[in-house]
Amino acid sequence: MAGNELLSSTIAELAPRIRAGEVSPVELTEAALARAEEMQPRLNTFITLLGEQAMAQAREEEEAISRGEYKGPLQGIPIGLKDNLATAGIRTTLGTKVLSDYVPDEDAEVAIRCRAAGAVILGKENLEEFAAGATSNNPHFGPVRNPWGTEHIPGGSSGGGGANVAAEVTFASLGTDLGGSVRLPGAFCGVVGLKQTFGRVSQRGLLVTSFNGDHIGPMTRSVADSAILLQAMAGHDPLDPSTVPVPVPDYSAGLGRGVRGLRMGVPSNYYFEDLEPEVEEASRRAIAALEELGAISVPIELPAMKYIGAVRMAAMSDAIVTHEPFLRASRDDYGPDVLYRTLGGQFVMGHHYSKAMKAQRLIQEDYARVLQGVDFIVTPTTPLVAPRIDAAYIEHNGVTHRVRGPGSSMVSRNTSPLNATGHPAITVPCGLNSDGLPIGLQFIGAGFREDLLFQVASAYEGVSPSQGRRPPVLQG
Amino acid sequence: MNVSDETLQAIIRDYNGFELSAAELELVRPEVDYYMEQLAILGDLDLSDTMSGRLLRMAAADESQARQEGGV
Repeated sequence: MAGNELLSSTIAELAPRIRAGEVSPVELTEAALARAEEMQPRLNTFITLLGEQAMAQAREEEEAISRGEYKGPLQGIPIGLKDNLATAGIRTTLGTKVLSDYVPDEDAEVAIRCRAAGAVILGKENLEEFAAGATSNNPHFGPVRNPWGTEHIPGGSSGGGGANVAAEVTFASLGTDLGGSVRLPGAFCGVVGLKQTFGRVSQRGLLVTSFNGDHIGPMTRSVADSAILLQAMAGHDPLDPSTVPVPVPDYSAGLGRGVRGLRMGVPSNYYFEDLEPEVEEASRRAIAALEELGAISVPIELPAMKYIGAVRMAAMSDAIVTHEPFLRASRDDYGPDVLYRTLGGQFVMGHHYSKAMKAQRLIQEDYARVLQGVDFIVTPTTPLVAPRIDAAYIEHNGVTHRVRGPGSSMVSRNTSPLNATGHPAITVPCGLNSDGLPIGLQFIGAGFREDLLFQVASAYEGVSPSQGRRPPVLQG
Repeated sequence: MNVSDETLQAIIRDYNGFELSAAELELVRPEVDYYMEQLAILGDLDLSDTMSGRLLRMAAADESQARQEGGV
């Protein structure tokens, strides 16, 4: 099989062939590195490409397989890591000049787990500075470009990973999601992005972030691959107090079970408000397709979502505390978008923060109540398709919104609520708009029911109009 | 709701915050405006029965879980 055909495959397709010795991890990694070199000038997805280390790792895994030491479906698979995940002995910049020479002593727990599963780390991927925004327009390392339209953002903050998965450079990339930063690149780049339940995956080694609501999640080209990645990443970490010691199920077991008889919550408020018409049309078509598959639509209401904006108010306060030591030492090295967005947090008062946390609790109670009556919730992932890289503002339904920097929150309005509640959510491609830009559909589940989310997302994936579509950057 | 530049500068000065020039304060202003907008929305929030006052429907939760485990 030629390199390009290998790169177009999914992990689930390749794994049995790697195990059988039909596909060589060394050849696979060589092909992925060649694709990375080809795409870097066009997409700018990597900050650090780990050519030699990746090849050495691939050789180790190939030898292990030949000795009969098969570790599972990730063995010999090239993946990417967002550059805010610590890697021992490898520069980890967080996309900022402030830490441009930082080399951690230890690996992030997810890097340890993925390596233990045999994954080959291809490189450290470009992102929004400090992962603090939705564009991946990095002022220090240059903007990441969207494979579906290189003048458009890939979404952020894990834009390098989303673009790499879409451009068939990596088979999976690990991003981080504090307000949608895995699911936004997932939606804008036409790939699958998972934010699992808060506490399901260790955050140890996720650098310079809030303690409230951040998650490390995979971006992949299929739902089955997302399940494979979560299988490797999930589990209690005794050194991360945010993880929960609940058993890890077999995430692939429900794939193929379909959605017949499942109750599908369709929000009557918030999530379908303020959508671009083509996003709404694609989402409604997807809901109809799920009904055709046997899901039962149930209208739901989430009244406390009226107060969801307060949660970002609290996040402003979290951000200034997170950044305080870096701002004191290296303020001049910040790019303006993150600097001035962060500095606003110093004005948030303690009792307002506390009130925002109470509002968050009410919102959590809404989801808890609703998810007793339905099996999952379906929403558009984003209200719009990927804006242009050069757009500081967008006109949306007659209102001007900031795309980046201070005051920007429009892009993440449908993803960030689940960071506040902690529920698992997955985005799956649901078609293209008339300009050929991807649209994402989001499924939300009950806590620790990622297995059910994979079941639902996989069923929809099979009938999605995005099936078989590849981005223009791969078509010459 | 609005908060003046003078008040913001006083907060920075009295609480040892991060100094901002007048031009920088303009750049931060959208965040402050967002904060004030959200505070106004929170104004009508009734917190009298948050947490301890609201009981979840545990029986329904058990039923839902059973249905999910059954794969329907």
